[in-house]
Amino acid sequence: MRRMRRSTQLTVVLLTLALVAAACGGGKKKTATPKATTTTQANAPKGGTLVLGADQEPLCGDAIGACGAQLWAQYVFEEQVMARAFDMTSLGKQVPSDVLTGLPDLVTTPKQKVTYHINPKAVWSDGQPILCADFLYSWDQEDHDQDINDRSGYKNISGIDCPDPKTAVANFSAPYADWRSLFSGFTEIWPSHLLKGKNRDALVKDGFKWSGGPWMLDHWTKGQELKLVPNPAYWGKKPNLDAVVWKFPADSAAQVADYKSGQFAAIYPQAQLLLALLKNQPNTFFKPFVVFNYEDLWFNTSKPPLDSKAVRQALAYATDRDAIVSQLFGPVGSLIKPIQSYTTQVNKTWYSTEFSKYKRDLSKVDSLMKGDGWTKGPDGIWAKGGKKAAVELNTTAGNKRRELTEQVLQSEWKEAGFTATVNNTKAGTLFGQWLPAGTFDIGIFAQTPSSPHPSATMCSNFCTLSIPTTANGNSGQDYTRYNDAAVTTKIKGLDTELLATKAKADLADIMSSLVEAVPSLPVDPLPQVFVVNTAKVGGYLEAGNPIYGPFVNLNEWYCKGGTC
Amino acid sequence: MLTFAVRRIAYSIPVLLLASVLVFLFVRETTDPLARYRASPDKELVGRERKLLGLDKPITHQYTTWLTNFVHGKWGDSFVSHRDVSKDIRASLWNTMQLIIWGILFSAACAIAIGVYSAARQYSVLDYTFTGLSFVGLSMPVFWFALMSIQFLVYEPKRIFHLSQPILYSVGLHSATDHSLLDYGRHLVLPVLALSVQLIAGWSRYERASMLDAMSSDYIRTARAKGVPRSKVLFKHGLRNALIPLTTIMAIDIGALFGGLIITETIFAWPGMGRLFVNALINGDTNVLLPWLMITAAFIVLFNLLADVLYGVLDPRIRLA
Repeated sequence: MRRMRRSTQLTVVLLTLALVAAACGGGKKKTATPKATTTTQANAPKGGTLVLGADQEPLCGDAIGACGAQLWAQYVFEEQVMARAFDMTSLGKQVPSDVLTGLPDLVTTPKQKVTYHINPKAVWSDGQPILCADFLYSWDQEDHDQDINDRSGYKNISGIDCPDPKTAVANFSAPYADWRSLFSGFTEIWPSHLLKGKNRDALVKDGFKWSGGPWMLDHWTKGQELKLVPNPAYWGKKPNLDAVVWKFPADSAAQVADYKSGQFAAIYPQAQLLLALLKNQPNTFFKPFVVFNYEDLWFNTSKPPLDSKAVRQALAYATDRDAIVSQLFGPVGSLIKPIQSYTTQVNKTWYSTEFSKYKRDLSKVDSLMKGDGWTKGPDGIWAKGGKKAAVELNTTAGNKRRELTEQVLQSEWKEAGFTATVNNTKAGTLFGQWLPAGTFDIGIFAQTPSSPHPSATMCSNFCTLSIPTTANGNSGQDYTRYNDAAVTTKIKGLDTELLATKAKADLADIMSSLVEAVPSLPVDPLPQVFVVNTAKVGGYLEAGNPIYGPFVNLNEWYCKGGTC
Repeated sequence: MLTFAVRRIAYSIPVLLLASVLVFLFVRETTDPLARYRASPDKELVGRERKLLGLDKPITHQYTTWLTNFVHGKWGDSFVSHRDVSKDIRASLWNTMQLIIWGILFSAACAIAIGVYSAARQYSVLDYTFTGLSFVGLSMPVFWFALMSIQFLVYEPKRIFHLSQPILYSVGLHSATDHSLLDYGRHLVLPVLALSVQLIAGWSRYERASMLDAMSSDYIRTARAKGVPRSKVLFKHGLRNALIPLTTIMAIDIGALFGGLIITETIFAWPGMGRLFVNALINGDTNVLLPWLMITAAFIVLFNLLADVLYGVLDPRIRLA
C-alpha cells in the first residue's frame, strides 16, 4: 500500500513537472508538424474562411491563352476550379484524376492513341456531365484558336473521337511522349456546353463561375482579393471550409510581416533569406518546397570567350555551386542542394547527376585554359591574343538572390583567373531584347517547366531550330545559341519516344553531349517555401507536388476550432 | 480672373502635348510589346502580333493613332490580361484617390497645427521637438517606415495583448469577411500614415516659415498696436496669409501623389495607381503604361494649374501682375 502510494506520488510529481515544463516551454520555439494532427477528413471541423497570401495575382483567367503558364494563376484559381485528366503525387508521379475512372488506355502502334474513360460521376458545377465533347472542345481550342500560349502535344493530335459521351479517344498523327500532360497541368479541360462557338478569352479573362473542381469562384476584385467557395456539384472530397480568400501582397518583406501578424493563414513565397525569420515562429509549419523550376548559368556560346568549350568548362570547374546554394538558401533549408541536370531532384523519373563532375577544381581550370592557349597575366587573369578572360553576368535587376549569386561568382571566378562584371537590367529588356538578340554573356535565369518530362524544356533550350534569329523574328529560347544538329535530332526523338526505358537511355546520351559542351551550368532548384499557421489551419499539409504546388488539396484543409 | 485662368489653361495644352510625345517615345523605346510572343514555338506569332498591334507602321503614324484614340477615350485592352485599360485605370484611380483624400486631410491638419504652434511658440521645447521630428520624417524612407509600422502597430500589439486579430491591418482595403466602415478605417490607418509622414514633415516647415513671415509683417504689428487680441491676429490675419504659399505647395504635391504612391501601395497591397504601374512595367504592358503616364502627367499639370489659379484667387497681386 505504502509502495503504491509512493509510486502514485511519484507519478503525480512527474506529471506535474511535465505539465509545468510544457507550459513554460510552450510558445517560443514550438514548430507544429502536420503529421501530429489526428483529425481525419470525416470528423474535420466544417466552416470558416481562410485568408491566404499569394505572391502574384493572376493576370487574367484565360489559362491557355493570354495568361497561360502562370504558376500563381494555377495555384490560386485554375487547379481549384478546373477539371483535369491527370493529377500528380507529392513525388511528382502523374496519376489519373477523379475526372477519369482510371489510367487511360495507351496504344502506340501503328499510331499513338489514348482512350480516356470519363468518370460517370464527373459533372460541371451546373450539373452538366463532363463529356468527351469537352475533351474535343479543349483540343480544338489548343490546336486551332489564335493566341494560344503553348500547343505542345495538342498539335500532334489529329482528332478526337467520341465512341460514347463518356469516352474520349485522342488519335495522334505523330507520337507525343509527354501525353500525360495533355488536358492537365496548365491546360486542363474546358466546358464545351458553355464555351463552344463563343469567344473563350472574352468569357473567361475576368474569371469564371463555372467549375469542374472542388471550388468555384465567388468573386475576384482585381488587385484586392479572389474568393473561392465550395462547388456544390463536385463529386470528390468536398471542401471543409466555407471559403478561401486569396490576397495579393506584392512586397516580400511586407508579406512576411503580414503573415507574422496573423493576416494570412499560409503563404508560399520564393525561398529567400528573409524567410528564415519565420522558421522559429510559434505554430508555424515551415517547409522549403522544391518544384520543377531550376536556375542555370546560361552561356552565350556565340560570343568570345564563351564560344570556346574549354572556357565554358573552366568556368564550370571554377564554380563552387555548393557554396552558392548554401549562401542562397542555407538559412532557409539546409537540405536544398545544387542540381546536377536540367530538372530538379524531385523529378525522380528524369533527374540525373551528370553535371556533378563539375566540382570546383582550380587545377582543372588551369589545364583547360592552358590547353586552349590562355596564359595568366601578372594580375592573375587569363589572357589570349591580348584579350583578357572577361565575362559579363546578366540577370534581372533588383533580384536579390541573383545579385548574391553574381557576387559569389565574381569572387570565385576572380580566384580562378576570370574577370566577371555585372550588368543587370529589367526583366522585359533581358528576356525581350538581350537574350533573343544574343547581346549577353552569361544569363542567370530560371526555367519553369510545366511537366516532369524533359521534352517540356529540352528542345526549346537546346535545339538548333530554337536559336533566335532575325529570320524567325528572334523567337525561340535557345538563347545560348548551342548548335549541334546531332543533339537536336536526339532531342526531337525524345519528344516522340513513348518507351520510357528507351527515352531514359536517349536522355542520358543527350546529357553526356550537353555536359561536355556546357551551354549552361545548372545551379539551384529555385525552391519555394510553404509557411502555414498551424494554430489556424488543419489538414494534411504535405500533399503538394511540383506542378500543382502545396495548395492542391485545399479542399481537405480545415479551420481549427471552426474559425480562422 | 477668367482671363488669368484661360491663359494658364492655354499654357497647359502644349505642355501636355510635349508630355505625350515624350511618354510615347520613352515607352516605345523601353518596352517590347512583342516580348511575350518571342519565346513561342509558333514562328509566325511575332509577325502576326506586330501587324495586329500596328507596330509595323512608322512611329509617327503609331503616335498619332495612339493620341487620337487616347483623346477619344479608346485606350484599348491590356496586352497581358486583355482587359479594358480604362476600366482598370478608373478602378485604380479611385482607390488611390481614397488614400490621397484621407492622407491630405490628415497631413494638412497636422502640418498646419504644428506649423502654427511652432511659429507662435518659436524656440520653445515643442518647436525644437517638431523641428527635429520633421527632419526625421523628411529623411525617413517610406518603405522602411511602412515596414516598421507593420511590425510595431500591427504585429507587436497583437502579440503583446494576445489578440486574435490585429487592431490595424496592413493588407488591402478591407478584410475577407468584414466590409464595414470600421474595418475600412482599420485598413486605412497605416497607408495614410506612411504617405503622410513626409508630407507633414515638409508642409509643417513651410507653414512655420510662412507664419513667422506673416507674423513679422507690418499689418500684424498694426493690428496688435490697435489692440486686436493675439489669438485673433494669429488666426484671422496671420494664418490666412500664411496659408497662401502652403496651398500652392499642397496643390503641386497632390498632383504628384496620383502617380507617386508606388511604395506605399506595394507594401500595403493597396490596389491603386502605383501597383497598376508596377505590374504594367514588369509585364511590359505598353497599353497600360501609356495612358497611365498620360493620366499622371495630366494630374500634375492640372494641379499645377490649380495652384496657379488658387494663388491668383488668394492673392490678388498675382493675377493683377
